[in-house]
Amino acid sequence: MRASDSKNWPVSQTGLRSSGSVSSILLSDPVNPPVDSPEYPPELARLPPGRHGLPREFVSHNQRERLIAGLAEAVSENGYAGTTIAHITRHAAVSRRTFYEHFNSKDECFVAAYDSVMSELRQRVADAFEQEDEWPQAVRAGIAAMLEFLVAEPHLARLSMVEALVAGPVVVERYDAAIQDLVPYFAAGREGRSADVLAGLSPTTEEALVGGMVSLISRRIFADRTEELESLLPDLVEFTLTPYLGSVEAAKTARG
Amino acid sequence: MEISEKGYRSVTVTDVVKRAAIARNTFYENFGSKEDCFLAAQKFAMSTALERVIAAAGELDSWPWQVRAGLAAFLEYVTAEPALARTCMVESLSAGSAALEYYEESQQAFVSLFRLGRDVSPHGTDLPETLEEAIIGGVFWIVYQRLAVSEADAVVELLPEVVEFTLTPYIGSEAAREVAAGDISGEKAQR
Repeated sequence: MRASDSKNWPVSQTGLRSSGSVSSILLSDPVNPPVDSPEYPPELARLPPGRHGLPREFVSHNQRERLIAGLAEAVSENGYAGTTIAHITRHAAVSRRTFYEHFNSKDECFVAAYDSVMSELRQRVADAFEQEDEWPQAVRAGIAAMLEFLVAEPHLARLSMVEALVAGPVVVERYDAAIQDLVPYFAAGREGRSADVLAGLSPTTEEALVGGMVSLISRRIFADRTEELESLLPDLVEFTLTPYLGSVEAAKTARG
Repeated sequence: MEISEKGYRSVTVTDVVKRAAIARNTFYENFGSKEDCFLAAQKFAMSTALERVIAAAGELDSWPWQVRAGLAAFLEYVTAEPALARTCMVESLSAGSAALEYYEESQQAFVSLFRLGRDVSPHGTDLPETLEEAIIGGVFWIVYQRLAVSEADAVVELLPEVVEFTLTPYIGSEAAREVAAGDISGEKAQR
């Protein structure tokens, strides 16, 4: 929660979604941060119906975020296929017409939600990774940050790792790219290794490692066992470090 | 195999019966829906793949070579049946949650073959509980990546890499590399 708490406006105080952590992540849209938001009186974010004299741009941005958060909630209740635009607008408390002012379809709204979640997740992994000086510890920190986020946000975990797969080719393409984006974190482990270790690595080693890691994670989420993810940390660290450090050294780092 | 060309979502039952040269009635005598038909194709492909893997591995005695033979059979099957493989591995992602669940579960059929490696590994008892699951996920992921960009021909060439990837945690990278290189003379001498 660190990143969204410090860098974005305090959504949790708006009363928009007092209980839903889903919206606190999604409403703090990291791609399009709301203009001048920190000074904005939180209670006005409720956007009462009728004339409220708020700047048009603010209203519009707020509605878009609410729709994205509404989609995340609707999808966690009904699954991607079972979610209708009516579900989304009900959760977002906006009109159908407003929905179509922002998105042409459920798919488009889903893509926006997916992008918000992934950009938050990416940021957390990058921050955690960069805080460590040694590569093996950095890998451990990056994986830990990812698992922590997914456990803290089970609905977003499901949206990004399970529902994304059934949400059509556009999202699947983004999902594939997001996973492949993890490759450089592991490829960095090649630096400074002996010729012998390097000979044991193939061009697809990193790809296979991220694929294996994501498969372990998404299978737990798929089975509604998201809360087990944090206990996977030692296994994932050992699995991903073994090709570079050998299994004895990898197991040591895995245990922390 | 209409799906491999148009994608699961845009294929209709009409497309399927036209391609299969059967009557619409015949389709519904066999399957309740497009999804049923998809699941049947998926089950057929996964069970055939598994049969071939087991048959190939069963011809050898030592575990690392069994793994190599099993993986070779799997990759060959994918390359030989690109449309079926694509339907099974790529399109299963957009064919609804039943198909996705079946895909996820059927991958795990490979666990028992890989798990035997713990008996030959010097540190077999220390290996992480989830190792086999992660290895299989990794192998399927790199195959999937090739199929997603329609490079089924390249799949069979992945053999040395996936063998090495699979065996390294159990027998170390040097021994894994030897098996990956495919010099079977050592194995035959042992027998």
